[in-house]
Amino acid sequence: MPADETTVAQAVGLCKSFGPRHVLDRLSFTLRRGQMLGLVGANGGGKTTTLRVLAGLAKPDDGTVRVFGRDPRRLTTADRRRIGYMSQSHALYPDLTLSENLRFRAALLDGPIEAAVSDVARYCGIEHLLAERIAHLSGGWARRAQFAALLVGRPALLLLDEPTSGLDILTRRTMWGWMRSLADAGHAIVISTHDLVDAESCSDVMYYTAQGVTGPMKPSSLAAMHDAPDLETLVAASTVQRV
Amino acid sequence: MIGWRTCAAVARVEILRTMRSRISFTLLFMVPAFQIVLFGTAIRPADLKVAIVVAGPPSAAPLAQMLHDIDGIAADDVLRAPGRAAAAVTDHRVKIGVELPAGGAGDSIRVIVDATDPAATTLAENRLRAAYWQKVAGASPDAASAPPLRVERLYNPAARADWGFLPALVGVIMMISAIMFGTLGLAREREQGTWETLLVLPVGRIAVTLGKIAPYTLLGTCQGLVTLALAAGLFGLPVRGSLVALVALMPIFVAAHLALGMAIAARSQTQIAALQGAIAFYLPCMLLSGFLFPLEALPYWAQRVSEALPLTHFIRAARLATLQGGDAAMVASQAIPIAIVMVGAMLLAAVSYRDSRR
Repeated sequence: MPADETTVAQAVGLCKSFGPRHVLDRLSFTLRRGQMLGLVGANGGGKTTTLRVLAGLAKPDDGTVRVFGRDPRRLTTADRRRIGYMSQSHALYPDLTLSENLRFRAALLDGPIEAAVSDVARYCGIEHLLAERIAHLSGGWARRAQFAALLVGRPALLLLDEPTSGLDILTRRTMWGWMRSLADAGHAIVISTHDLVDAESCSDVMYYTAQGVTGPMKPSSLAAMHDAPDLETLVAASTVQRV
Repeated sequence: MIGWRTCAAVARVEILRTMRSRISFTLLFMVPAFQIVLFGTAIRPADLKVAIVVAGPPSAAPLAQMLHDIDGIAADDVLRAPGRAAAAVTDHRVKIGVELPAGGAGDSIRVIVDATDPAATTLAENRLRAAYWQKVAGASPDAASAPPLRVERLYNPAARADWGFLPALVGVIMMISAIMFGTLGLAREREQGTWETLLVLPVGRIAVTLGKIAPYTLLGTCQGLVTLALAAGLFGLPVRGSLVALVALMPIFVAAHLALGMAIAARSQTQIAALQGAIAFYLPCMLLSGFLFPLEALPYWAQRVSEALPLTHFIRAARLATLQGGDAAMVASQAIPIAIVMVGAMLLAAVSYRDSRR
């Protein structure tokens, strides 16, 4: 699909190997404003690598990738400010309080600090934890805290690596709700996930298997293409075959 | 009662984990092997050869001949004008100077020793004394008429060993702390994931490097001041020179090692690998900087290497500012090589910061 003014990121023929293992093989996709692109499939398929390439943390062996029209490893400061990357680790300073972590993030983004902190804390329902050290938070609250840190500066592109893993169902649903509303508000989101029921609400999904990547396409179309009733059945079946 | 089965199972797992970890293997065998070869080659205290300068009137030439071919002493054939040997010691060009008398009755041979680091000079001083009297006894039956040796120890008259190493120890403590803060701080961030987040955020590499270094530079300087105060207060280490210049040098020295630590950590995937890198850096520094062994005990190539180490220059500056009474200009002259390393290390840390993306 050609790039236009709504295009946030685009990859063409992306290849990446780790030793003899080909993780990405000629992967191509376009991400537009308001689109929530789900990356699904078994572990080790290349979902995290895709996110890391988009974030500029990994260099592809071949192919081109553009984020806001530029190589993600050579983005301008202004463009970098528009990217929010959430890794699988909590990525917050555990010995600092939530407030200190959020203030640090806001300071790096060069925006108003107090307003940004209270804004994201309210959005994620963690105002009561602002004085708590991250190390003292439970896994679920720490994830919310990480999500709040991600939202500081309201990035236009959110790259989320299994943001809901290990969370209880209530927190998981809450976070998916936030992501859907962010996409509705025009943010572009790429999310790697094993929450396949919730992933049905993605506008498009890419399905990572040992044979390569299928998509992006509508979740229902992807399932139908493989004669599966839904994503969960499709991925479960392929994982069983792999095992 | 000891659960031997449990003990054996735990021991087996530990052995398996160690053997399967390339880093543990390197730490256990490769690094020690490298150090043994390096230091076995470089550190030869028995080969210590101290250069001396001999001065005196032309009539003292026969006496000067007696100071040649002494084990552990390197003297050239030049007999310098009277006073030049003492000046060479006070200018820190040599450790020992010998001023020969004109030959009048009752004259003595002045042996002026820079006793700042007694480990470097005591042996040479004793060798010089013993060889002189042996040669006198061999050359003349009337040895008693030969001029006696009068040793004048400068800076550390009692040849106190603690005064010899305390100024150097201040630098060693600061170096180890800085390199550890630099490596482990950053390695911990990598493992926590905060480092990766920083890489994605719109921050300049120079700004991040400086921001990470600045607070620890202040802490490291405070640490240097405290250790120096303890050395002076508890062991009477005199501060005869420019304390201000030495204190001004401390942040440069600390920042150089913090930046080196960050560069090591940026290239290390785990905390243990970073720790290994830090040890591999600071151990040679301790051994090749004049802290544990006199520089004169090192072969030429190792002495050249030691000139590239910030610790070597800090030790010189610390000895100048304390025992030797060096003024601000003398102490500050050691800042130049340290500052060069600091700038290079910061650039390396800044480059490594972005290059740590894979």
